[in-house]
Amino acid sequence: MEVNKTPKLASQFWPEFIKRKIILVILTQITISALAALALTTTGVFYIDSVVMWLIILGFLTLNITSDILILLSATSPTKDLMSAIVNVSGERTVLTPPNPNRAEYEKTGFRDALQTIYKLSANKEEGDSEKAEEKLKKQVSNLTGALDMTICGFIALDSDRNVVYANKSAPAKTDSNGKKNVDLIFNGTDTLDSWLDTCQENAVHDEHIWLRVPDRLPNEEGRRFFDVLASYQKSSNIETVLTLIDKTKSYSVDEENLDFISFAAHELRGPITVIRGYLDVLEDELADVLKDDQTELFRRLIVSSNRLSGYIDNILNTSRYDRRHLKMHLAEDTVMDIYDTISDDMKLRAGAQNRLLTINIPDDLPTIAADRGSIGEVLGNLIDNAIKYSNEGGLVSVNAKVNGDFVDISVIDNGIGMPESVVSQLFQKFYRSHRSRETVAGSGIGLYISKAIVESHGGKISVRSEDGHGSTFTVSLPIYATVADKLKVDDNSNEGLISEGNGWIKNHSMYRS
Amino acid sequence: MKFKTILCIEDDRFIGEMYVRTLKKAGYEIDWVVDGNDGLIAARNKPYDVILLDVMLPERRGTEILDALRGGKEDLIPKTRVIVLTNFQQDDESRMAMEKHADAYLIKAEITPKKLVSVIEKLEGQAEAQP
Repeated sequence: MEVNKTPKLASQFWPEFIKRKIILVILTQITISALAALALTTTGVFYIDSVVMWLIILGFLTLNITSDILILLSATSPTKDLMSAIVNVSGERTVLTPPNPNRAEYEKTGFRDALQTIYKLSANKEEGDSEKAEEKLKKQVSNLTGALDMTICGFIALDSDRNVVYANKSAPAKTDSNGKKNVDLIFNGTDTLDSWLDTCQENAVHDEHIWLRVPDRLPNEEGRRFFDVLASYQKSSNIETVLTLIDKTKSYSVDEENLDFISFAAHELRGPITVIRGYLDVLEDELADVLKDDQTELFRRLIVSSNRLSGYIDNILNTSRYDRRHLKMHLAEDTVMDIYDTISDDMKLRAGAQNRLLTINIPDDLPTIAADRGSIGEVLGNLIDNAIKYSNEGGLVSVNAKVNGDFVDISVIDNGIGMPESVVSQLFQKFYRSHRSRETVAGSGIGLYISKAIVESHGGKISVRSEDGHGSTFTVSLPIYATVADKLKVDDNSNEGLISEGNGWIKNHSMYRS
Repeated sequence: MKFKTILCIEDDRFIGEMYVRTLKKAGYEIDWVVDGNDGLIAARNKPYDVILLDVMLPERRGTEILDALRGGKEDLIPKTRVIVLTNFQQDDESRMAMEKHADAYLIKAEITPKKLVSVIEKLEGQAEAQP
C-alpha cells in the first residue's frame, strides 16, 4: 500500500499527459517507417544497403513525426487552455498565466463561452463565500453592540491617543461640535482619568484604577448621574484603556439628600452657636471684675464647651462635603506656628478647663508647609481634643513638630489610656468608636475620619502609634511648601492675596489695590 | 486711616445687638438695619468705612446688595470695606464671586465679637499702609 503518496495536483496533469502522447507518436511513426523499409527490401525494390531508400524513409519519418506532433498540439490546445483555466481557479500555485477568453481565435470558435463558464462558476463561488462571511460578522457585531447597549453598565474604549474608539449607550460619552466623542465625567481634585493615564503611559505596562462616585454633570444640573469607574490600562495594544462604568445614581442620590439635610441642619445650628459664643465673649470682659474664682471657672467651661460644639459642627459639615466630593482645600504657604496660633487660645483654655498640661514644641526654623489654614487648624484641634479626652486628669499633652524628608511631621502625644492594636486599624473609619470610648467618652466618631480626609487632600499622611495603657501618638505629615510650590502655582492661584480666617478669609489689600 | 463709621446689615436681633454693643464699646459709630432694602439705601446714602453684611436677609439678599454696589461699571463704595458675615460655608463658585466684591468673608459662628474687632483693625492697618 502506498501510504505516503502525495495527492496529484491538477497542474501536474497536462505536462505528463502531452509528454506521453508525443512519445507515443514518435514510437508509432518509427514502427511504421521500419515496416515500410521491410516491405521495400523484401519486394526487391531496394537493396537493404541502398542509401537512397534510407534517405527516403528517414525523410518521411521526420516529416510524419513533425506533422503529427503539430496536429496533436493543435488538436489538444482547447484542452490545454481549459486545464490551465481550471488550475488557475483551483487556487493551486502556478506560473502559468490564465488563458484570456477574449482572444480573437476563442471568440471565433466559440471556446470563449466554455472558458468564461469556468471563470464565472468559480467567481460566483468566491463572491458567495465572502458575502456570507461579511454578513455573519456584521450580525455578530450587531448582536454584541446590541447586548452592550442593553446593559446598565457603561463601557468606553480609548486608544493610545485617548480617543474614544467605542462607547455603549449607558456610557457617559458626549459628542462635541467637531463630531469627536469624549468621556463626559467630572473628576474631583487632582485624581482624574487624564492624570492617571499620564502616569500609566509614562511608567506602566498594565494598571488598574477605581474611582467612586464620579458625576457626569455639575450639581443642580438636570439628569445628573453618578458612576463608579473601573479602568484597565494595557500598554501599546490597539485599544489601550477600557473603562467600565457602573451607574450608582440611585444609591448615591439617597446619600446626597441625606447629606444635604445634614449640611442644612449644621448650618442652622451655627446660628444659635454664634449667639452663645458671641455673648460669652461679650460677657467675659464685662463680668471679669464681678465673678468670683469658682464662677470664673464655670464661665470658662461654658466657653470651652461652646467652642468644642462649634468645632464638631465644622467636622460634620466637612464630612458631608467630603462625602459629596465637595471638600476643597485652598492650599497656601504657611507655617505650623501660624496655624497653631489660630487655635492656640482655644486649646489652652480647653486643656486648662480639663486639667491637662499642654506643651507646644514647634521650632522657629521649620520650613513652610502647603496648607489650608482653617482645615489644618481643625485637624490639630481634633487631635488635641482627643488627646485631652483619652488621657488622665493632670496628664501631659504635647505637640511637637520636626522635618522628615520632604514633609513636616506634627505629632500630638498623650500619656493616656492608649489602645490595643485591633482598634488602631479601624480608627480612621467613619463613625468608628472603640468599645471603651463608647462607654466612657462622648463623641461622634467622625473627627479622625475627616482629619484623615483633610490631611490626604493636602497630599499628606496621618498615622498613629499606640500602646494599650501607655498613651498614643498621632502624627500628621504635610508637604514642605518648596516641594510642591510649582504644582500649586499651576493648579490654583486663587489664594494669592487672601489671608485665611477660620473657614473664611480676609483680602490682603497691600497686594490687591495699588 | 482710622475707621469710624460702620453699617451693620443683620436681621437676627441677638446677633445685631451683639455687634452693636461690642463695636460701640470699641469706639466706632455704628448704624444697624435689619432688611436688605434698607441696607442698600443706607449704604448708598452715607459713605461708611465698613459694612458688615449678612447674606440671608429679608427683601434683598446680601449678595444682591453687593452686586448692586460693586457689580456695575463703577464701584459705588470704593473707600468702604465690606465684610460678609454668614454661617454658610462657600462653595468654589460663590467664593470666586465674593472675592471680586467683598473685602472679607467670615463665618459668624467662628467670629466672636472680639475677633471681629481684630479683623476690622487688620483692615484698618492695611488701609493705613496704603499710600
